[in-house]
Amino acid sequence: MTRWGMVINLQKCVGCYSCVISCKQEHYLPTDVFWNRILISETGKYPTVTKQMYPVLCAHCKEPACVKACPTGATSQRKDGIVLVDYSQCVGCRYCLIACPYQQRTYYTNGNKEYFPGQGLTELEIIGKELYPLQPGTVVKCNFCLERVDEGIQRGLKPGVDREATPACVIACPAKARYFGDLEEPQSEVCQLIKEKKAFQLHPEFGTDPSVFYIA
Amino acid sequence: MKPYEWMVKFTPQTEWIEQRGLLVWLAEVSGGLGGGLYLVSLYLDSLWGMFVSWLIVVALKGGFHLAYLGKPLRFWRMVLKPQNSWMSRGLIIVFLFIGFGALQLITSYLFPGTAWELLFKGLAGITAFGTAMYPGFAMNYVNGIPFWNSALLPILFIVYGILDGFGIVIAIALFGGDVNLAAAETGSRIFLVTSALIVAIYLWSATYVGPAGKYSVMELIQGRIAPVLWIGVVLCGIGTPIGIAVSSYFAKEGSASLLIIGIICDMIGGLSLKYCFLKGGIYGPLIPSNPY
Repeated sequence: MTRWGMVINLQKCVGCYSCVISCKQEHYLPTDVFWNRILISETGKYPTVTKQMYPVLCAHCKEPACVKACPTGATSQRKDGIVLVDYSQCVGCRYCLIACPYQQRTYYTNGNKEYFPGQGLTELEIIGKELYPLQPGTVVKCNFCLERVDEGIQRGLKPGVDREATPACVIACPAKARYFGDLEEPQSEVCQLIKEKKAFQLHPEFGTDPSVFYIA
Repeated sequence: MKPYEWMVKFTPQTEWIEQRGLLVWLAEVSGGLGGGLYLVSLYLDSLWGMFVSWLIVVALKGGFHLAYLGKPLRFWRMVLKPQNSWMSRGLIIVFLFIGFGALQLITSYLFPGTAWELLFKGLAGITAFGTAMYPGFAMNYVNGIPFWNSALLPILFIVYGILDGFGIVIAIALFGGDVNLAAAETGSRIFLVTSALIVAIYLWSATYVGPAGKYSVMELIQGRIAPVLWIGVVLCGIGTPIGIAVSSYFAKEGSASLLIIGIICDMIGGLSLKYCFLKGGIYGPLIPSNPY
């Protein structure tokens, strides 16, 4: 059984926001909606200050709190572990948004908000509305670029190895800090990294078993 | 909160308490009040009380919830996942209460004293209990907010619902309704003391569920939500009604105006408590304190 997952090497991440922007481009995400984010904090006191950069996205947890919270079944989990939202079933109650301990969901409110207010929708925004028709009044989130993954598999490509079948944020990362692959396949690059570099999950105490791991 | 502080520092939940989220707060208050009032009315055998509670649940709770949804016309879909979701279970319970409550009111009015009336009273009572209590379970499920992860939360909600129910029943008695005022006052005093104790125990125990839980309590007792807790919950919701209860206990004749003030304070207390609990829901930072 496949379980898609991601490993992010924090030592390589330079905080350039390429993942954030590439995700927005890939899915034509409207303004105010981010499926990838970078959290930046500083700990310690001068002269021993540490700057931490954590790229975060939906962790596609093995035991997703959002799927259990959703009263309609709009949020579901595929056999390959990807958690997705069916906008046509979502009622916008936002229980999933509250239940996600990683806060990786966004309530999409305004479908007419423009990137350049008062100047109308750009050509790209119009194309985006046709290709990714998000519905105002529903909850949206990262889908691990399942269109790319599915299409790649159909074409005989291997997600995480072949660019065309790999999530946009992984390909865009100039520092090659992100890795994508099958967590159930012991020989995959992600599994090897988790084992060798002792990768960790963010807040395992929530009990959701996230599929995104970090190397510190 | 600044955008760059989001989930880097303690981050309050906003979806269920800010802007349109205020509707969730009002819906939860209405649900607790409606369910609690129905239970109290059953105990005191007040048909007026039962009718008012049914109206509160149908019109206010239902209305506020519907108004909050992003896609209200799809609300029927919310009953599809009772095996997983507390939201789904809650909606089913509310629907059952509305149905059984309506049947009970009809049988109590047309066929009083029959087995049907008893049956529907029992069923509506059970579902009223669930209506007042389920938001506690729904909030308790949220792992990311330690302040809500307490088994006391559903109990607190039902106790406050019943306390508010006693307040409305006293109002019905004052306006000449079919209620024994003395019994209602006694019940109100008991639940007032019980709710004050549970709130105190809840806040004390929440400080032991991790840094985010402690932060929530500190926000409640001395942070941005403190005025609502101290003025709304403690002064209006607990202090004033206790003062009025003590004075009316020792006075030979209770003052109607004092009782009305007590009821209003009681309502403010119920509204403030749910506001405090929703507003006090805080997520811990995502970034580990020092991973290196």
